[in-house]
Amino acid sequence: MSELRVAAERAVQLAQTAGAGQAAASAFEARDVSVTWRDGKLETIAEATTSGVGIELYVDGRYASVSTSDLRPDALAAFVTEAVAMTRAIAEDRFRALPDPALYVGQSAVELDLEDAAYDAVTAVQRREVAQQLEAAARDVPGAERILSVTTSCSDSRSESYRVHSNGFSGGKRGTAFWLGAEVSVQDADGRRPEDSAFAGARHRSALPDAARVGREATERTLARLGASKGRSAVLPMVLDHRVGGRLLSHLLAPLHGGPLQQQRSFLQGRFGEQIGSNLLHLSDDPLLPGGFGSRLFDGEGLAARRFALFEHGALRGAYLDTYYARKLGELPTTARMSNLAWRLGDRDRAALIASVPEGILVTGLLGGNSNATTGDFSLGVQGFAIEDGRIGAPLAEMNIAGNHLTFWKNLAAVGNDPYAYSAMRTPTLLFDAVQFAGT
Amino acid sequence: MNPSTSAAGVNRVGYFARFGIDEATIRATLAAALARGGGYADLFFQHRISHSLGLEDGAVNRASSSVELGVGVRVVQGDQTGYGYTEDLSPKSLLRTAQTAAAVADGPARPGPVELHVAGQLPQRYNLGVDWQDVDTQQKLPLLAQVNALAFAADPRVCKVSVHLADESSVILIADSHGRLTEDLQPMTLLVLTCVAEQDGRRESNHMSLAARSDIGFYSADRLEKLAQDTVRRTTILFEAAQPPAGQMPVVLGAGSSGILLHEAIGHGLEADFNRKNVSIYSDRIGKPIAKDFVNIVDDATPEHARGAINVDDEGNAAGCTHLVHDGVLETYLHDSISARHYGVQPTGNGRRESYCHAPLPRMRATYMLPGPHKREEILASVKKGIYCDNFANGQVQIGAGDFTFYVKNGWLIEDGKLTRPVKDVNLIGNGPKVLEDIDMVADDLAIDQGGWTCGKDGQSVPVSQGMPTVRVGSMTVGGRG
Repeated sequence: MSELRVAAERAVQLAQTAGAGQAAASAFEARDVSVTWRDGKLETIAEATTSGVGIELYVDGRYASVSTSDLRPDALAAFVTEAVAMTRAIAEDRFRALPDPALYVGQSAVELDLEDAAYDAVTAVQRREVAQQLEAAARDVPGAERILSVTTSCSDSRSESYRVHSNGFSGGKRGTAFWLGAEVSVQDADGRRPEDSAFAGARHRSALPDAARVGREATERTLARLGASKGRSAVLPMVLDHRVGGRLLSHLLAPLHGGPLQQQRSFLQGRFGEQIGSNLLHLSDDPLLPGGFGSRLFDGEGLAARRFALFEHGALRGAYLDTYYARKLGELPTTARMSNLAWRLGDRDRAALIASVPEGILVTGLLGGNSNATTGDFSLGVQGFAIEDGRIGAPLAEMNIAGNHLTFWKNLAAVGNDPYAYSAMRTPTLLFDAVQFAGT
Repeated sequence: MNPSTSAAGVNRVGYFARFGIDEATIRATLAAALARGGGYADLFFQHRISHSLGLEDGAVNRASSSVELGVGVRVVQGDQTGYGYTEDLSPKSLLRTAQTAAAVADGPARPGPVELHVAGQLPQRYNLGVDWQDVDTQQKLPLLAQVNALAFAADPRVCKVSVHLADESSVILIADSHGRLTEDLQPMTLLVLTCVAEQDGRRESNHMSLAARSDIGFYSADRLEKLAQDTVRRTTILFEAAQPPAGQMPVVLGAGSSGILLHEAIGHGLEADFNRKNVSIYSDRIGKPIAKDFVNIVDDATPEHARGAINVDDEGNAAGCTHLVHDGVLETYLHDSISARHYGVQPTGNGRRESYCHAPLPRMRATYMLPGPHKREEILASVKKGIYCDNFANGQVQIGAGDFTFYVKNGWLIEDGKLTRPVKDVNLIGNGPKVLEDIDMVADDLAIDQGGWTCGKDGQSVPVSQGMPTVRVGSMTVGGRG
């Protein structure tokens, strides 16, 4: 940590010497290691330790952000001098300044537990063994004779950074992450080669699920895709698997950021306090979750991290506002970017939600599509399974859902009890009424 | 050391000095990379300098710049790859990185190259009059102000405009265990215009971009005027646009960026890594007819100054124009050197990477369909009820199942052979091989789009181009409402 702190302090000093009235710098170092294993042998190994520094410059009321991986002392000094000259050339912006130091104060005392102390003990042999176990399990499932290829992977990373502001902030972060996964392709009767995968990740290696379970799940998911066909265009209830719900939710949250709100590219602008979803749409941003992939004690601007409500009983309550856009909007900043999401959970699991649907579609995969942040219109490719009399039926592919977020979330009819653990969005299974599906 | 790249007609010195390395260091690093019996090794040095400027609320009020300097060391043993990279270009760090990558193999050491030689003269597809590094910030500012003014002047309903201008200069130096040295200077520039318009309390927004491996002269007054007019028109027309119905119908794709269909429906599926792993829906179709005989599809590294053009790929292999589909027959995959060796063919110059932090993979360059026998008017007139699409946001594909999508930002309903009502924000979904079979008319109006297209694969982004003449697809699923 001390080396990174010195590097960040030096960068701030260089910036101020070169003429910046205020400056902030983050120095980072990250190590990433991964092993991929395919069809009985090693496919790739990759390992690297990478480092760099990012600097925000405030020069005579002007602003620039710069970064470099060239940390040779002469090169860094020349880089900062050039960056300050570049900043001087652009327009003044009275909203640009470092955050109010009062917002640095009051960091939580919670132990976030983001680092595995045994990280260095993981060996190359262990990684290969995990990758091999994943493949062995993937091939030890009834129906495995249809497998064309299995690719498995085991990876881990450790990252460290230190941030310094010229107006008083100074703080460091460290964390580790471990991932394992398997991708399986199978031969279908019609020439298609459906693929699916399973994966898992955790801050601590000991918190990972059994590799055999993940390998089996990958094959089971893929075999379930055999014989998939396009269903009919219809308006039906939709059960949204917790693994893919985050992507749909991200389209609701993208317009809730300072840039779109201030630039009038947000359908949620001017709707604070309004009912946007059913009363089950109830979630907060939660940076203080122990072990979370998005957890932090301070954010990218040094602001002390706090939990805040985004939606309460369907009403819009909060937005992601960084210091700059908050000033432009005349608001107080919250934070620039999502940490973890915390939903108010329901009491039923995925199976119970499916059982509650007489006729509908279980969506387990999203393919492409997009959402218009200015109007709320969206259209997304989907695949999944028919639900018939509360049971999972035939696999469906090559279909689409479309709607507008302002009406879509009002049809949120149930929230599951199963937040997805392998993403900071932690979305539970969701049930929607009356979704427009396009097919044949 | 002879130069292999020149710019502005002036020979450059080699880039060794820029990386602070010499031949002896390269030889020692390659020897370390092969010390455990790897069959092949290469070093990819990169120095990329990028700048960007942003205009919002009438002023250029943000600037950014970045420098990426580093080297990737790759060791290949059959289909297997070991990879490491570092930003520390000292001999000690290079050796350590090479040792990491070497661990993919497990056998007796092989010798590294005794002598290094410069690869032959490269083609020169993006020579610049002025390097971006020699352009001051002050010279770029008027471009952003001009585009802002043009957009506001184009329609009184425009209420917010943002303009983003980026440029980069990437110097690469590739040294491989055959002793081959390859250097290139790869420039890029991108300008993005985003407009918001307001009418009767409703807002709509849209954006368009221009991108090229060109210098500042690319941004001619005419080109900027057209960008502003097109972007504003494609924003304000959204007030009249509806979402089309849901279901299957004929789709006509306009000339230009409709090449996104080729990128998703066939391009990715022909990247040879997926085929050597036997997981692509195209894995057993080389030499077979897959489309009507007037369908010809290429992936081309040669269009001068195109965003997807390259003089050489990121493995140092020659990059030309590759015919994927010739008179309706599937002719070849897109190869990097690993897949080319696997199939016993020549590499096609498609081994590309995002940066020194990544090993190369088979990737597209400029992918487009050659002109066909029909006329645009005749294609439109042939459709009783369907949709016409001419502006796209993004797409995605499932390699094995073949299902793919692309998102239409602007289009029209076609009724009785005429464009009747604008449509917007709709995802189209189809199956690659089926859609190729269903391309039943191809016009003679090929256009290669100049937008800032970026392709993502395995966590790596690379710049690409795409193009298309007007074509008709007999049937696709339109993800509308109604």
